[in-house]
Amino acid sequence: MSSYYDIDAILTDSQKVPCTFELTVPALGYVEGNAGQDIKQGTKVELPLWLGSMLAISQPAGSSPLVTLDLPSALSPRVINALKADPRTIDLRALAPHFYSLGSLMLELFEEDELVDVMTDTFKKRAAEIADQAHNPRGALGEGADFLRGLDENERQLFRASHDSAKAVKTWMTDVKKK
Amino acid sequence: MALPLPRGLTPPEVAFICEMELVTVIPRQRLDALELLGGPTPALRPPHRNNIPLWLALLLKRQRRANIVPPPWLQPAALSAILEFETKHAKDVFSPPPKLPPSADGSNMTSPPFLPSSTADAPPDALPYHWLELGEMLLNAAPDDFEEPDQVRRLMRDLREVRMAKLRAGVDVLDAGGGVKMNGVGGMEVAEGRAFIGGVIDGLRKIGASREQSRREGEADGGANGYGRTADYDDDEMDV
Repeated sequence: MSSYYDIDAILTDSQKVPCTFELTVPALGYVEGNAGQDIKQGTKVELPLWLGSMLAISQPAGSSPLVTLDLPSALSPRVINALKADPRTIDLRALAPHFYSLGSLMLELFEEDELVDVMTDTFKKRAAEIADQAHNPRGALGEGADFLRGLDENERQLFRASHDSAKAVKTWMTDVKKK
Repeated sequence: MALPLPRGLTPPEVAFICEMELVTVIPRQRLDALELLGGPTPALRPPHRNNIPLWLALLLKRQRRANIVPPPWLQPAALSAILEFETKHAKDVFSPPPKLPPSADGSNMTSPPFLPSSTADAPPDALPYHWLELGEMLLNAAPDDFEEPDQVRRLMRDLREVRMAKLRAGVDVLDAGGGVKMNGVGGMEVAEGRAFIGGVIDGLRKIGASREQSRREGEADGGANGYGRTADYDDDEMDV
């Protein structure tokens, strides 16, 4: 499980999600850029995930929640359809540097069965490609460069792990030859 | 965090463990039995063959005091048969490990690594657990004991490529709770594939965590009726 100091978990929590305010809050205008003003009911603001989810879940005094949460643009239907079409060509890093972590956190808040399927499939397809690239010594420089640049943080760790273990075996083989 | 080493054994560690495998040597000089912690080694009397641990065999070979007899499965004919089995007959499973020899009373309690799998009388049609490490070490330390070392080397490389590709392709069938059949995968291959396969399973579990949780809750509800197990199956069918 992720620890309190896990930098990836912290960075995932700080990604912005679109929120809509359900109430007028006095003097909170600075979150949308006009300090000193009230924030009006129905205003859409991009808030970090940790703040947005807290506000959306908490229900002060039994009333309706303060804000409602929407799916971030990285998980919009447009992206999901593109992922369904071909997971390998999407630049996940441009969408969200911690795409899968963000996705799984959003899935805890939203019930989206289709999203689970699409993300699982995407991860599997891209993992196979990552493994091939990690074992191909020219992959990181040649034709695979674009794909590798589009990996999210999770996939980068996977690439590194798989590359390191392949390298360790190769190093051992050359060491045996030297003896 | 304390140790920068990844989980599992590193390739040099796997190779170290492999060095206790018994191999057959033809001694060139006499050597009396050595009293070792693991038991005495057989006394070597040329030209009688004897089985000794790989590390000792490599040492004697380096000192030109013995010749190593390559195990039968490391012959070109045997390797190409296994390669053909891997590529033509079984496209998604690995060639099986050597069968355990039947014992007289049917209660065979010995299995590798306590069963020699790389001596001159090993079965020629199966790759033992340490095939990759042992083959590499023998090819490098004793290429002159092979009839065609280059061909063996080429076949070993082909076999390794084919099997690593299968191991990587295994992630396609993985699921958050699923598994890949890895019977017959060697020690070095496990060391090489561990980081990747473990990472994929971790990632899939993270993505499927919310579904898993709702499934658990459903199961708990079903458990109230006294049938937690069937509720589980029903949910699985719903997924399909």
